[in-house]
Amino acid sequence: MRKILIIFLFSLILFTSCKQSNEKITFPQKPITIIVYTGPGGLIDITARKFADIASKYSEATFVVENKPGSGGIVAMKRLLQLPADGYTIFACTKSNISKIVSSGGEAYIEGIDWAAMMMADPECVITHKKQKVNTWEDIVLDAKSKDGNQLWLGPANGGLDHVTALKIWDQAGIKAKWIPFKSGGKARAALLGEQGVAYVGNPREVLGNDDLQIAAISGSKRLPQFPNVPTFNELGISNLDNEFMWRGFVLKKGTSPEIGKWFDELFSNVNNDPEWREYWERGGIDVIYKNSDEFTKIVHSDKEQFTHYLQKIGIINTEATNLLAKLASGKALNFLVFFSVIIFLIIGFVVKRSSRKKYLGRIMLPIFFIMLSMIFFVISYSFPSNEKVGPSVIPRLWIFILIPLNIFLLIDILRQNKEIENIGENKNIVFGFIALLILYLISIFYLGYFISTFVFLFVGIYILGYRKYLTILLISLGWLLFSYLIFYKLLYVPLPVGKLIEMMF
Amino acid sequence: MEILTNMAQGFEFVLGWQPILYIVLGVIMGILAGAMPGLSPSMGVALLVPFTYAMSPTLALILLVSIYIAANYGGSITAVTINAPGTPSAVVTSFDGYPLTKQNKPGMGLGVSLISSTIGGFIGTIILILFSVQLAKVAVKFHPAEYFALSIFGLTTVATLGGKNWVKAFIAAMFGLLINTVGIDPISGVSRFTFGSVNLYDGFSLIPALIGLFALSEVFKQIDEQNFKTKKIALEKTKWPTIMDYWKLKITIIRSSVLGTLIGIFPGAGATIASFISYDIAKRTSKEPEKFGNGSLEGVAAAEAANSSSVGGALVPLLTLGIPGSASTAVLIGALMIHDLTPGPQLFNNNPEIIYGLFASLLIANIVMLVLGLFGSKLWVKVTAVPKKILYPMIFTISIIGSFAVRYSFFDIAACLGFGVFGWILRRNNYPVAPIVLGIVLGNIAETNFRRAVMMGDYTIFFTRPVSLVLLILALVSFGWPILRNKIYNRKDIAKLKSR
Repeated sequence: MRKILIIFLFSLILFTSCKQSNEKITFPQKPITIIVYTGPGGLIDITARKFADIASKYSEATFVVENKPGSGGIVAMKRLLQLPADGYTIFACTKSNISKIVSSGGEAYIEGIDWAAMMMADPECVITHKKQKVNTWEDIVLDAKSKDGNQLWLGPANGGLDHVTALKIWDQAGIKAKWIPFKSGGKARAALLGEQGVAYVGNPREVLGNDDLQIAAISGSKRLPQFPNVPTFNELGISNLDNEFMWRGFVLKKGTSPEIGKWFDELFSNVNNDPEWREYWERGGIDVIYKNSDEFTKIVHSDKEQFTHYLQKIGIINTEATNLLAKLASGKALNFLVFFSVIIFLIIGFVVKRSSRKKYLGRIMLPIFFIMLSMIFFVISYSFPSNEKVGPSVIPRLWIFILIPLNIFLLIDILRQNKEIENIGENKNIVFGFIALLILYLISIFYLGYFISTFVFLFVGIYILGYRKYLTILLISLGWLLFSYLIFYKLLYVPLPVGKLIEMMF
Repeated sequence: MEILTNMAQGFEFVLGWQPILYIVLGVIMGILAGAMPGLSPSMGVALLVPFTYAMSPTLALILLVSIYIAANYGGSITAVTINAPGTPSAVVTSFDGYPLTKQNKPGMGLGVSLISSTIGGFIGTIILILFSVQLAKVAVKFHPAEYFALSIFGLTTVATLGGKNWVKAFIAAMFGLLINTVGIDPISGVSRFTFGSVNLYDGFSLIPALIGLFALSEVFKQIDEQNFKTKKIALEKTKWPTIMDYWKLKITIIRSSVLGTLIGIFPGAGATIASFISYDIAKRTSKEPEKFGNGSLEGVAAAEAANSSSVGGALVPLLTLGIPGSASTAVLIGALMIHDLTPGPQLFNNNPEIIYGLFASLLIANIVMLVLGLFGSKLWVKVTAVPKKILYPMIFTISIIGSFAVRYSFFDIAACLGFGVFGWILRRNNYPVAPIVLGIVLGNIAETNFRRAVMMGDYTIFFTRPVSLVLLILALVSFGWPILRNKIYNRKDIAKLKSR
């Protein structure tokens, strides 16, 4: 009896200890998702995929890269913060995201994120065209002084990292120039190759492969081994630009348990020390570094302050409503304006429907819709800050100024003459039925998931249209489900929604 | 001569079983991705990039460009058969392709679009091989003022598209331009018309808008008109174009291909504008302009030749300068980078096998596409034989999964639905919807380049640069002429009526 008891206790201890150690070793019990805020193919996407590749050397875990583009990373960060802090989702982050957070007023993201590991830093540099007269830093300074503010610098979006770096460079060097933003760094580089401007701000990797481009000056405290002839700003007598670098790193949601945090710390530092990882990036002039959570968080906070300062300076954030129309276009007043317009629109619609011209309901209401939409947009356009020659409100207003007269012309034309209209379909009710069904379908996808909702929708839809061979309907619906599962879900990794209710149940 | 030896080497590499297999695979996937509304060529390429990371760089590129080429053709299949252009550039194909289907001649539309695509692809590739270096030099000199003028020229095609309804067509285009300004301002970075919603920061995505305006609104219209009868066409009897039909289109195809390649070269312009402009020119120079919009073979040929040849053009800045000319080529750059290759002029010297292997595979991919397309067309025609009562609900589900696949967002599905309903209302009232798509495509190019040009100089810059001035004058003439002509004809008609 005693023996049995001892064996039992022993095995119990063994069992529990096993279980504990198991838990520790096998943190990732399912694949870990790395969220990337751009589409496949960008530098950060490659970073994430290369990381997943190298990390597999040091852990059993599987890494899955999920691209979630949109709003310069806001969409992806939102996703990260929606998911539980269990370490199964990490986010591949860059300094550009901080600029986006600041300009969209989403400072909660900075607090909600555990800035786990900064993995690399590319120094920022000024790139010039070799065949242009102005191609060294000294040339740029002289040229800038002679052009007095009309020297053209090319680069990606306003308020982004490269733009802010340029602003700092101008401040420190005491020169003035104009920033011409392009849709992407590549397009700006094309314009530099076409000699449309003098300088381009970006990372050193961007001159590789093109003999016509050269680096005029580089930020950072020392010269890059790959570009030994390129001077740093410090050497050129311009200080305070040592920390202008584009960093990339991986972050977790705040609140992830310390054990999991430790597991990741170990993994990040292992990958950082991996020779293959280092060689791959260093060849392109990228500094492979490792900064842990404490240092990283400090850097992020200082970046935030810097961005806030410069974005205010160029007028992207913190603009107060100055005149009446601008006040009307912001906050609650705007909601009221939209609500009020909808009411007026409905009243006009009602009146027309009751009048002798009810046949022309659509013909009359469409121009009115366009006019009212234009007017709302026009009012809103007063809330845009504009300290440039052609500000953000110019082009929308141009379209509005064309749209309104055209619609008034059309409206007068319709009211004056009684043209016959061709008889168009009179089965509006079925169409309305279908629109309602589609809206229900959409709601149902949200709660019950794609597969159940689609099955029901197809069945009901085909039935409503009057098709009655039930077996065919069943086969077609099931066939489509199988097709979308295999092609979209399995082959193309489209994360078809599972549905909120279903998620809760399992 | 050097080119010939290099090309011979390229072919030597590509004519192995493995590269050919990848080309065939790529073309099949491309056709499917293109045909599926919601999967654009760039997405087809992007979705497969992760798979190519493990392949050798040349094979990866071969697979990706095969997808890219075939997706541009694939878009026309659904445009012709169900009026749901699978890609934005196939919008123009649907103008005449779908009427052909309605007239029980889907084979004509499909046949012409396949052949024009293939020839367009060939011409684009040959221009790429022979002149890429020279053309790249021109492309980088293209000033923002000229981009603006080009986009205004593109907009004037609305006048031709609209015909008698030119006011409505113009309103639709302006509406497209206006809603294109929703989102973060690309120049200054402030958010415009977003009503504080993150979903609107990037504005309305083109693909859900396209699906809604074309596929959904078309189905609403059909249900509205109770068009449920499937016309029983004996598939064996479907008419296919004859050699003579193709021969008649030779000038249209060649002209549109050259035009498409040239427009494709300018980073950012792309296949959609190319197809709109060459359709416009085809209609103006045609002997039978009245057929356009009612099933003109020239219309289908012009659109498809232009959008397929633009692939060759888009590769010019990519290979010679390392600068992406389109969304799809931006993804290709990433694929090169992961293999540690930097696209740019040095690639020609350091890795000629990759460049010439790529050229050879482009030519072969076009042939493979032709062969697969000839077999496939017999299959695509069958889509028109599916009972409408089943087809319509299917189009709804495809539209919804397609708009979701763009960014995995519910908002996009809702936007697609909204555009569908709005498109149906517009069509009921004789507004064409294609100008909205044109407006959305061109709005960004027009606005950013206008503002960039003014920042770089001042307002006179549009008239002091000769290319921009010529383009603007052309735009004015091409916009004014159809309207003026309509007016004159109307007067003549009235005069005739009175004299009777």
